[in-house]
Amino acid sequence: MPASMMQPDLSTLDISGDLRTAARTNWQESGWPGPRAEAWRFTRLDKVSAKDLVPAQPLATITASDRAGDGPNNGPNNGPNNGTGDGLAVAAQIKAHAIRIINGRVDPASIEGLPARVRVGKLADDATAQAAMAALAPAGHPVSNLSMAVMSCGLVLDVDGIVDTPLMLVFDGDDQRLSTHPVVLVRLARGARMTIAEWHQSSVGLSAPLMGIDIAAGARLDLVKVQAESTTTTHIAATGVHLHKDAVLAGFSLSLGGDLARLETHVSMQSEGADCQLSAVYLGRGRQHHDITTVLDHAIGHCTSDQVIRGVLDDRARGVYQGKVKVAKDAQKTDGQQMSRALLLSRKAEADAKPELEIYADDVICAHGATVGELDATQLFYLTSRGIPEAKARAMLIEAFLVDVIDRMEMDDFIPVLRTVAEGWMAQTGIADKTTISDQEGGNE
Amino acid sequence: MTPLLEIRDLHATVADQPILKGINLTLNAGEVHAIMGPNGSGKSTMSYVLAGRDGYEVTGGDVLINGVSVLEMSPDERARAGMFLAFQYPVELPGVGGMSFLRAAVNARRIEAGEEEVDQLGFVKLVRAKAKGLGINDEMLKRAVNVGFSGGEKKRYEILQMALLEPAIAVLDETDSGLDVDALKIVSDGVNLLRAPERTMLVITHYQRLLSHIVPDYVHILANGKIRKSGGKELALEVEESGYAGIDDAA
Repeated sequence: MPASMMQPDLSTLDISGDLRTAARTNWQESGWPGPRAEAWRFTRLDKVSAKDLVPAQPLATITASDRAGDGPNNGPNNGPNNGTGDGLAVAAQIKAHAIRIINGRVDPASIEGLPARVRVGKLADDATAQAAMAALAPAGHPVSNLSMAVMSCGLVLDVDGIVDTPLMLVFDGDDQRLSTHPVVLVRLARGARMTIAEWHQSSVGLSAPLMGIDIAAGARLDLVKVQAESTTTTHIAATGVHLHKDAVLAGFSLSLGGDLARLETHVSMQSEGADCQLSAVYLGRGRQHHDITTVLDHAIGHCTSDQVIRGVLDDRARGVYQGKVKVAKDAQKTDGQQMSRALLLSRKAEADAKPELEIYADDVICAHGATVGELDATQLFYLTSRGIPEAKARAMLIEAFLVDVIDRMEMDDFIPVLRTVAEGWMAQTGIADKTTISDQEGGNE
Repeated sequence: MTPLLEIRDLHATVADQPILKGINLTLNAGEVHAIMGPNGSGKSTMSYVLAGRDGYEVTGGDVLINGVSVLEMSPDERARAGMFLAFQYPVELPGVGGMSFLRAAVNARRIEAGEEEVDQLGFVKLVRAKAKGLGINDEMLKRAVNVGFSGGEKKRYEILQMALLEPAIAVLDETDSGLDVDALKIVSDGVNLLRAPERTMLVITHYQRLLSHIVPDYVHILANGKIRKSGGKELALEVEESGYAGIDDAA
């Protein structure tokens, strides 16, 4: 294992606790997956391992310079994400409580005055919570080791009722050599209901959030994620979710920042009636690489899962969707759907889709589909023949391509926010410059 | 007086196949011209060439709007210069809301003319007023463009767009195809309402029946890529009786 595959180097960090020291050992033994790891076949990590990263200090407190660097993408290479807006401003707009995490460190002032029925705790001080976190973390994922070990901040959020005020975790930071490792455990008690959003807008070197989410019987979590890091930031996120009886996870991710971003979510449905709805949109241009990876484990029958993925890629950007649905032998009456569509705006853009069904039960409804296509020339002609300029016509068709997935959200407050972010992205793409298009549509599975 | 639309010795190919082989037509303000012709004569090609569709290559001649050549202009520029094509097969746009589509089209023209964009409320009222006469209800207006519309509804929606855009030159490509008698009457009435001294229309059709509703000033017979015969409205009846046979060689 070359040393570069273990960037950042954790050997000098002060790491305490059995689970975290074990995680460090695992990290030092495994590092980043190499090119032969099947789960990382489409997403090579050469870029991140080539970075000279300094890990954020474990459980460090926020500094004055952190605060000074607060603000969306305020590094020198803040690139195209200026249009995505500031997570704090969005939180204010939708009347969410914002927890600020800057350069991987939590701002203690921001965890005061949380909505009623939400309690915050320190993960580092709570052995039970740490064990829960370790159990939830996606197995075998490098960030499950790396961020668990570093734990630049560790939060436990316990929700024990119906909470109307959304909580937004705003991840910011400006230190470009820094790798940040926030670890957040979210536990929804029976019947609880809440909306939690993650908004990533830093310009650090590596942003590697680790989330563990446990949703008890009858509880529902609406989880929104906006990945709008600067284009020099690598974003590798691991989220592990356990769904109990009749629990619901409704997740929506919008990924448009970073030089390379992988959003990996593992969901385990452990009791009947659990429902997992995942929607994701990625928008790429330049040489960006966006990866959406999901592993859904139907461990028991009578659960439903439904995944809708949409990607728009311009220039030489690349998009990857890997969706694995596992249905255990006794998980009868499982309903698992996944559909991914990618829209290529440039001949040099590339999209890969790998839906995978691993089914051991016989009475199930499972389906998957994947398409890769270009803007439809006939539709474009129809719009322009009405006098609509080509750039505007293209934007209208791209928005139309995304609208059904955005409208799938039940969080009405967020829909205009996400539309604004997507429109900001389109406005900054040279979508008027493309000359050749065709209306071919081909499958790619 | 400069004609609104002038087509001079127009030659065009599709996939390297010559389809239009030297078309000459002059349309003055206030005139309605009909182009009739058998299948494969080049009628639809002509409409797409005029609108500037990709893949329809002009190999000779010229097209002028108000004396200015439009061959180098993109479809949207031509539209803003006053050209409107009512499609034979209107295109479905899933996910594109009807109202925002209509508004984008109207605003594009207004911005070009240096006018203010229409405000949303005033626009909704305007659209409703024009839609009513065409039997287009609010529910249809709310849907995505042409999605879930019947053939007749699509044609009516084309005429609604035309009424909102008030083009100087309206090209109607087989607007009668797929319409039953009642729908044909609604669409024709809509078109007739838009006949105006400052506007010209080019009505492309295979059959005479549309021309008994939209009565043209001139009729031209297109066959094998050329206008073979021109005359008054009685020419349409002649074709109805004796068919297109023999016309090919008449020129």
